[in-house]
Amino acid sequence: MKIEQAPPKLDRRTFIKNVLTGSITGSLLLIYPMGGGDALDMLQPATIPDIPVQIPGIRGETYEIHERKFAFIVDITQCIGCGSCCVADKREYKVPDGYYRTWVERYIKDFNDQVYVDCPNGGLDGYQTPRTDIEVQVRDTFFVPKLCNMCKETPCTQVCPVGATFTSPDGFVLMDSDRCVGCGYCIQACPYSSRFLNPITHTAEKCTWCYHRVRKGLLPACVEVCPTGARKFGSLRDETSEVYKILKGPGVLTVLKESMGTWPALYYLGARLEVI
Amino acid sequence: MSNYEFRLIVVVATIVVATGIAFVVKAQLIPDSFGKYGHYRADAIDEETQRPIRHGTNTSCLKCHAYEAAIHLKGRHKTISCEFCHGTYADHINNGKKIGALPVKKDTEITTLCLRCHNTEIKARSQAVIKTVAMPEHLESQKVKVTHTCNQCHHVHAPLKYINRAKQITGLMEAES
Repeated sequence: MKIEQAPPKLDRRTFIKNVLTGSITGSLLLIYPMGGGDALDMLQPATIPDIPVQIPGIRGETYEIHERKFAFIVDITQCIGCGSCCVADKREYKVPDGYYRTWVERYIKDFNDQVYVDCPNGGLDGYQTPRTDIEVQVRDTFFVPKLCNMCKETPCTQVCPVGATFTSPDGFVLMDSDRCVGCGYCIQACPYSSRFLNPITHTAEKCTWCYHRVRKGLLPACVEVCPTGARKFGSLRDETSEVYKILKGPGVLTVLKESMGTWPALYYLGARLEVI
Repeated sequence: MSNYEFRLIVVVATIVVATGIAFVVKAQLIPDSFGKYGHYRADAIDEETQRPIRHGTNTSCLKCHAYEAAIHLKGRHKTISCEFCHGTYADHINNGKKIGALPVKKDTEITTLCLRCHNTEIKARSQAVIKTVAMPEHLESQKVKVTHTCNQCHHVHAPLKYINRAKQITGLMEAES
């Protein structure tokens, strides 16, 4: 039998031409719809409720973004594990169920230095019942609130392939959800597990130390609602602020996973050796 | 013009045009403020700043709720945020107008809420920070029914308000001057 149709012309030149045209057009089409989105909604002027200033020197003054420096201190000895902070955080950002920007862990250690950690629902429901599954004698029990460490040497921003997460000049590690492609590298990179992929927007999300509140002279929501003052936040450029006084004073402050060289701006007061 | 020269011009022209197109496309794809402070879009900082504030402070609540303010600010519970028990300011007030009612906890909900902080069973709570009680031992020792809810003796905004007053009346405590 004779083949009637001639085979398509496939010399080297045509082949390369077709492949190049195809791949260039394809990649242009893929990247063109990026960006844009609902940026306009975000630019609507936010209503600033009539709330007295909590962090002096911000509202009504020029914000020299390179000059500002803030610190967060968590006093573990004051934390009672009520979970107010977790509730406030969920409400401030409408965080989807099952995801946490901040959470409170319960640490239990026994006389053999065995450490038991649990965190039912991120501490959102508080800690109503003691753990019943530990049969040995308990030596110490305490709560450890966790949130973004705002590292100076940030593992998460270094791995972002599209520049969607960054450290702002005033030291906050923030997300640009318009640019985020949801690859999840930053979530893998964060040594403190403080990032997650939002199931609705499919972009990475993290604690911002309530940057929108701080820029208006207000304390982060979790600090504002903490009944015992276990969470403290303030400017390091203000010598009268509580965090400045604590950092200047002789008290023992620790950071989480110091050996990783991330240089967090989140400090812990009274953290036991076991806290990681 | 020789065939060789023509080919050369075509190649050079193609490279120049392609580079030009590449620069135009690159300029189109890179957002305006990208690179102002670093390898990111500087406008993202301003956009984050624009995020709506949902939590007020106790001052914003007590500005209108003067009756509660008089009790709350005098009691041991003055450091507790209104919004933790009642919900966020933004769900209640928008542009100075009431837009919704916030829930008030009732009956056993109150006991659950109290024990969230005051339960002795959770050993992690320092007595220097918070006074804790064991249930139902506390109710038994106070000789009340075990079905009592906390707010039958303790005012939720100022837990020792009635207790102290009762002690003053019975002479167990000196009256306030």
